[in-house]
Amino acid sequence: MPVRVVESNTPAQVSGTDPGNRSQLPPSSLLGAGQAFSGTQNVSNQQKEEAWRVNVQIQGIDLEHGYLCGTMEALNVPMADTPVITFWEGEIVDGKNYTFYTGKWEATREDDMRHWSKFPSFSPLQGQVESDGGRQLDLNNYPYIFMRWKEQYFVNVGTDCGLTIAGFYYVCFSCSDGSISGFYYDPNSSPFQKLELKTVNEGRSGFSFSSYELQ
Amino acid sequence: MPTTTTSAASSSSSTASASGNNSNRQADVFSRLASSDPEVKLKALREVKNQIIGNRTKKLSFLKLGAVPAIASALADADDSEKCNNILVQSAAALGSFACGFEAGVQAVLDAGVFPRLLRLLTNPDEKVVDAGARSLRMIFQSNQAPKYDFLQEKNMEFLFSLLNSENENVSGLGASIIAHACGTSVEQRVLCEAGVLEKLVILLDGSLSQREACLESLATVLKNNPEAVSDFVGLESGRHLNSVTELTKDRYPRTRLLSCLCLVVIYNTSPSYFVNMGTKSGLITTLLELLNDPGQSGDDAALGLSCLIAGKEDLQKLAYEANAIKNIVDILKTDSELQTKRLQGLFLSLAELCSKLEDCRCSFVSLQVLDLLINALRHKDADVKAAACICLRNASRSVKNLSAGRFNSDHVMLPLVQLLHDPSSSVQVAVLGALSNIVLDFSSPKSSFIEFGGIKQLIELSKSMDPDARCSALRALRNLMFLADNKRKELFISDVNAQGFACLISDPEPPVQEQALALLRNLVDGCISSIEFVFDEDGLILDTVGRQLRKGPQAHMAIQGMYVLTNVASGTELHKEAVMQQLFPQATGSENFMLKFLQSDESQLRSATVWTIINLISPSSPGAYDRHVKLRSAGIIPQLKNMVNDACLDVKIRIKTVLGQSMSFGDNY
Repeated sequence: MPVRVVESNTPAQVSGTDPGNRSQLPPSSLLGAGQAFSGTQNVSNQQKEEAWRVNVQIQGIDLEHGYLCGTMEALNVPMADTPVITFWEGEIVDGKNYTFYTGKWEATREDDMRHWSKFPSFSPLQGQVESDGGRQLDLNNYPYIFMRWKEQYFVNVGTDCGLTIAGFYYVCFSCSDGSISGFYYDPNSSPFQKLELKTVNEGRSGFSFSSYELQ
Repeated sequence: MPTTTTSAASSSSSTASASGNNSNRQADVFSRLASSDPEVKLKALREVKNQIIGNRTKKLSFLKLGAVPAIASALADADDSEKCNNILVQSAAALGSFACGFEAGVQAVLDAGVFPRLLRLLTNPDEKVVDAGARSLRMIFQSNQAPKYDFLQEKNMEFLFSLLNSENENVSGLGASIIAHACGTSVEQRVLCEAGVLEKLVILLDGSLSQREACLESLATVLKNNPEAVSDFVGLESGRHLNSVTELTKDRYPRTRLLSCLCLVVIYNTSPSYFVNMGTKSGLITTLLELLNDPGQSGDDAALGLSCLIAGKEDLQKLAYEANAIKNIVDILKTDSELQTKRLQGLFLSLAELCSKLEDCRCSFVSLQVLDLLINALRHKDADVKAAACICLRNASRSVKNLSAGRFNSDHVMLPLVQLLHDPSSSVQVAVLGALSNIVLDFSSPKSSFIEFGGIKQLIELSKSMDPDARCSALRALRNLMFLADNKRKELFISDVNAQGFACLISDPEPPVQEQALALLRNLVDGCISSIEFVFDEDGLILDTVGRQLRKGPQAHMAIQGMYVLTNVASGTELHKEAVMQQLFPQATGSENFMLKFLQSDESQLRSATVWTIINLISPSSPGAYDRHVKLRSAGIIPQLKNMVNDACLDVKIRIKTVLGQSMSFGDNY
């Protein structure tokens, strides 16, 4: 989601992956194409408390490459007349395609650890990640999925809308109830803006699933 | 014997000057071909031969006048005496020329029954006669119409080896050509290898240009898809010959470079372990890319060769992408508007393979304006080119990012595709359906060009096709079109297909068609809760049909979609949940509950879908949840779930935990 710019400096880093010999993560029903989530992003800073309502929809997921993508819609954005929609792409931390270390987007290893450790579900993994990058971790059986989401472009407004999508989110998804929490990271924005989302059932009494099949 | 200048001049004159003079001369040639005077006959033979060499129009013209039988007679009538040798040479040469790259010519030569006579020329004492015979036969063996060569017959094998052993390069080349074009089965490959053909062929690798090329072609045929043959070949002199073939990819002759590349492609596709060296793979790709620029047949074959090499192999596609393959191909397509259909087909298929798995490649399509090239190709007159362009579009549109950005959702792209749905060629129809089924996935943007062009009606028509693949593809496209669709879009479909019609689709004899119909239904009943009502039309016909299909013990893929239909319906109102229960527990007794079977399936997705149905049925917020839970428990379903708490699939395990948690809230013990 686009945010205001705040001044700060961090060094650039070369992106790297550490494939190892892992298989892809198993599918999770609630993290699939068509799934919708709704909640808020806390965009407070020193001046005031503010939260935007946010809707997220997953459009595609490719576990083999640790990739997923979707849209994010921010409502009640003060400087916009309409909801602002962005398209984002995600990296799934599976130990095969991506690790807990970002290696790009001006995020250092320290930044990574600072953010991941804000998720309670990360604490059992923290020791191993700090010691060897988490090479030995069996993420296939862990009921949380860690990701990074990076917005790529605005879908319905121009880039001159006064908002920026320069940063990215550290995201934690709970496989059991489909809830999502995240922290926005952008060296030039307020730190630790929290994203909290829950699954949406569109007025239904239970869960409903759509699907498509690409040829 | 010198030819006359008039005949030489007429061979280069335009056919527009088909005056009485010209046809008189042709008729005259025929009477001279039948002459009993060998000098006259010889001159006539030379005249025809000189006119038709490299001239397809002349070949056709002489063919229609019956030149081939006349020349065949001349060949048959000539005895083996020395003075007839010139006639033998010229008639063999003329027949070979008719057969060269001209299928009608090959047909005529074979129909004239002269094939055995040509074979006998190979044992003539005169070297020139042998040469002419061998060359002529090679032309015939380039064609698919060449007589079947039975390698399993001992005398045929002996004859073949006598050719391969010959010092005459045309004769040994003929032997290799026969293998290249007639060896088709793994049995034939084995028999040839056991007879020692590989050892003979590799000698030709060090021979003349013509022998090398014939050898490379025949090696590719003998080794194709046969790991044992490849192992035998690589084992010869500890890999020396594999190295030789690899070296030949740097030869100065383009055709040699191409044929050695194609040989390596065959070896790689059969036994990739011989290519651990990244450099060899890169070199092979780079050479094929360079050959794409060759104006002749080598360029045509290189394009198809490249697509064969990288097909299904992400690592090679990546190497090709990094070697700038896309840009190279696009430059050729953009600058040369007169490309042969075979080359166009090969180039589009190569592009298709490049973007089959790599998102970077698909994204570069957009920046390099490849879409426009593809749209133009959709209007080409040749079916193979159109089909290749559709396949390319299909693979490029696997990019969710580009679909989401609406890159394909424009009139410019959609209109020619929709028009191709009526193409007379079934391969084009199949290909365009594949492309459309991806491209209609517009993530519910308000405007769909496809719908505006009447696409829904066309797909509904195709869902009733005689061809099950067409039915399946059409339903898949409809399914994707209805993904996250709003009520307005769903209504466009439902208004044209009544419950009866849809029930027929679900009960299609082909399981893949049933699967897509159910997947489409799943999407129709997702979204706004009112869309569930569709399954209740005509007294619940559709829901009954779903239940009936599930009770039949279907294949897993179909069952998964069926269970998600029930899951989605069960996420509705009390009435909807009760209707699902009626399908799970129909009045008729004696039928084993299919849910128990599904829960024990090897397919984790089926187990998962079944558990989701249960989750929705006993969702605590609904009034009848407790009673439904009681029924599920007494049917053995809840106990079955208790046995599955350690399911191998994490997702299934988590869903079961949810059910058992709900169960506990109803007072059940965990």
